[in-house]
Amino acid sequence: MTALEQLAKPAETLSNPAIERWKEKGGKVIGYYCTYVPEEVIHAAGMLPYRMRATGSTGTELGDVYSSHLSCSFVRHSLDQAMRGEYNFLDGLVALFSCDHIRRLFDVWRYGKIEFPYSPFYLQFLSVPFKTDDTAVEWMANEILRFKRSLEDHFQVTITDDALRQSIKTYNERRNLLKRLYELRKKEAPPITGAEVLSAIIASTAMPMDEFNQLMKQLLDEVGGQDGASDYKARLMLVGGELEDPGYVKFIEDLGGLVVTDFQCFGVRDFWDLVDESSEPIPALAKRYVERISCPRMIDHPRRDSFIKDMVKEFKVDGIIVQRMKYCDCWGCESAMIAWEAKKAGIPCMVLEREYLMIAVGQLRTRAQAFLETIERSQSGR
Amino acid sequence: MADKYEIHRQLLETYRENRAQLTGDERQKARLAQVKMHQAWLERIFGSVEDGKPIVYSPIYPELIYAFDLQPLFLEAWELLPLRQDMYALCESIDAAHEAGIPAELCSFGKSLIGSLLQGKLPPPAMIVAPTFPCDNLKTSYQVLRHLTAAPTYFLDTPYWMDADGAPDYWLGQFTGLISFLEEHSGKKLDYDRLKEVVEESNRMIYYWRKVMELRKLKPLPQGGRGLGGILTGQTVAGLPVGTEAMKMLLDDIEERIERKETAIANERVRVIWFHIRIPYDREIWTWMGEMGAVVPVTFGEYSFFEPVDTSTRESIIKGLAQRALEVPMLRQGRGAVGLWIEDCLYAVKEWQGDCVILAGHAGCKWIRGGYGLLQDALREHGIPLLMFDVDFLDPRVSPPEEYRGRIEDFLSTVMAH
Repeated sequence: MTALEQLAKPAETLSNPAIERWKEKGGKVIGYYCTYVPEEVIHAAGMLPYRMRATGSTGTELGDVYSSHLSCSFVRHSLDQAMRGEYNFLDGLVALFSCDHIRRLFDVWRYGKIEFPYSPFYLQFLSVPFKTDDTAVEWMANEILRFKRSLEDHFQVTITDDALRQSIKTYNERRNLLKRLYELRKKEAPPITGAEVLSAIIASTAMPMDEFNQLMKQLLDEVGGQDGASDYKARLMLVGGELEDPGYVKFIEDLGGLVVTDFQCFGVRDFWDLVDESSEPIPALAKRYVERISCPRMIDHPRRDSFIKDMVKEFKVDGIIVQRMKYCDCWGCESAMIAWEAKKAGIPCMVLEREYLMIAVGQLRTRAQAFLETIERSQSGR
Repeated sequence: MADKYEIHRQLLETYRENRAQLTGDERQKARLAQVKMHQAWLERIFGSVEDGKPIVYSPIYPELIYAFDLQPLFLEAWELLPLRQDMYALCESIDAAHEAGIPAELCSFGKSLIGSLLQGKLPPPAMIVAPTFPCDNLKTSYQVLRHLTAAPTYFLDTPYWMDADGAPDYWLGQFTGLISFLEEHSGKKLDYDRLKEVVEESNRMIYYWRKVMELRKLKPLPQGGRGLGGILTGQTVAGLPVGTEAMKMLLDDIEERIERKETAIANERVRVIWFHIRIPYDREIWTWMGEMGAVVPVTFGEYSFFEPVDTSTRESIIKGLAQRALEVPMLRQGRGAVGLWIEDCLYAVKEWQGDCVILAGHAGCKWIRGGYGLLQDALREHGIPLLMFDVDFLDPRVSPPEEYRGRIEDFLSTVMAH
């Protein structure tokens, strides 16, 4: 099996053989709901950080008991999976005020509405700042310290500074490997598709990091010298929040667009910025997680706007597709502002509303096709 | 050329007329109190627009901004008040936001603000003070306001857990940062003597407010729905004598009614804890519910835990204001875990002797949506009947009164039958 094939597998299911092997060896798995959770701390405790998804969910009947039809559908599906016991491989869960939907989802866990085979189940909610200044970094450092201590207390482990340094190194390696993969996407004929990249990123959040890094090195060897398709209609940048379905990206790519970069949670926002390995570990983590390129939970939209424009140039993007989960307020205004700015800059941009499950496929096809044709027409007119 | 503030100017005229009609009528004291303070607030806003006095958009209590002799504009009040005159007053603004690409499911407060700004219906800000709580809507809408106006903007970053080590200091730091921001962009130094005066004024207002709410615990309820509306009063005129006077009038009204042995309605059969704000465009809803024998002693908008700010030192004033900002109705329950919202609801039922709870679930309030199931469980456990229904507080096209009133009627009939 090629590295690409191996990396595609974890995205298809909630758990996977790598997690099962980890559990068989007595390893602990800690779920987390957002890229603002410093995975390095979990890793340094000898545990496996696992980014929460709702893969495989087909309905929300149970989840809806504790949510509402105006809650985001990812949250409803994830809650449903939790109530069905689909996350029973977890030993704990960490969340933060990523958005109103996620924090209330966590409240359902907090107030004991979900049963787990492991008791006491570790639950932690981080108070992550919304600003990016020095005092916010200092606050975040306190939170990371509190998080570290709570893991130590709950699981009776010690997280040393050396272990944190090593974890930072391991996670930076992941980030650098993914950045190298993105470099290849700048080529005229990128050797990898957007859907394949999304699968690889998902894999990085659902398997031991050393294993992932090995596979990534293999992948880079496999595809590094190759050229992929160059007959695409447009080079696209995919922008938005929670998107864990490579099928969604493939659908757009099957219509002739090629996703060459992104501004996604399962994407650049997760790995673009490194942790400074020369500083003390906790302050360095705090700085990285607060100052990293942000998502709309943070209040620094102008910085995000510049970042997107830079990526458009770097990756020679022909058009931006913003995918926004319905009822996501953070992305509601953000998507509008991105569209306004793109228009000003002369970058074709389309905002697509979506639900967690890929429904309304006909509408998606029509809109994506029309968008690609618009880009093609504008290119031929140049 | 059409006056872009036409709706608000008409409203101001209505307040002036109402005031003339109500003055001297002892039985209309509660209504007169509201009219006077809304009139005064609108006059200050228009005065500032005409005189070029800097306007500061701000969702927090206004004492600090008044102390700088700037004009705070609590945007929600600016949007809400016209609905009392015309229930469709904000539809144009909401539609303008939709046309600009703001999604329909964003809170209609945010949508109407953005739409009004795009249509030039909001007085332009010199500065913006923005919250990171109680919800994503507010935080994200204020980012759009900043984007569209390019006004200097200061966000107040609220820790999720205020009992965590360092959280009160971090929050206090946000307030000292706000003072520096206001000084930098107004070109004025904060006059602490003036701040002390303003805060002492708002302390008096809050004292009367709390007394009113205490007396509204009496059964049968002595004063009707006009005694409600604390959230608007506090966030518009706290720190001004007119705010204090209005609250004092409300207190006088309820005390006099108690003395005269008057009650809100003739035959009180059920007490409803309305655990959100009143539906702003349905101004007669309390009267209509009263006809069925139902009274509302408290809503979410008056329910607060304000303490007087200690004005003995500069530090104590800033600390008190920072604490007060956390206790504003809705901001209090919206900044952390859902447990506080549920506890407050249970407390309100107990203290105001509620027989049931009605939650008019504003479509935009995603921060409580995920708490519905937990609230239902908690109220069921205590045997408290609950009605929840969807409504859009600013857009009657989405939720016309005839739709939800039927549900309220059925619910109240059931509660009364048991």
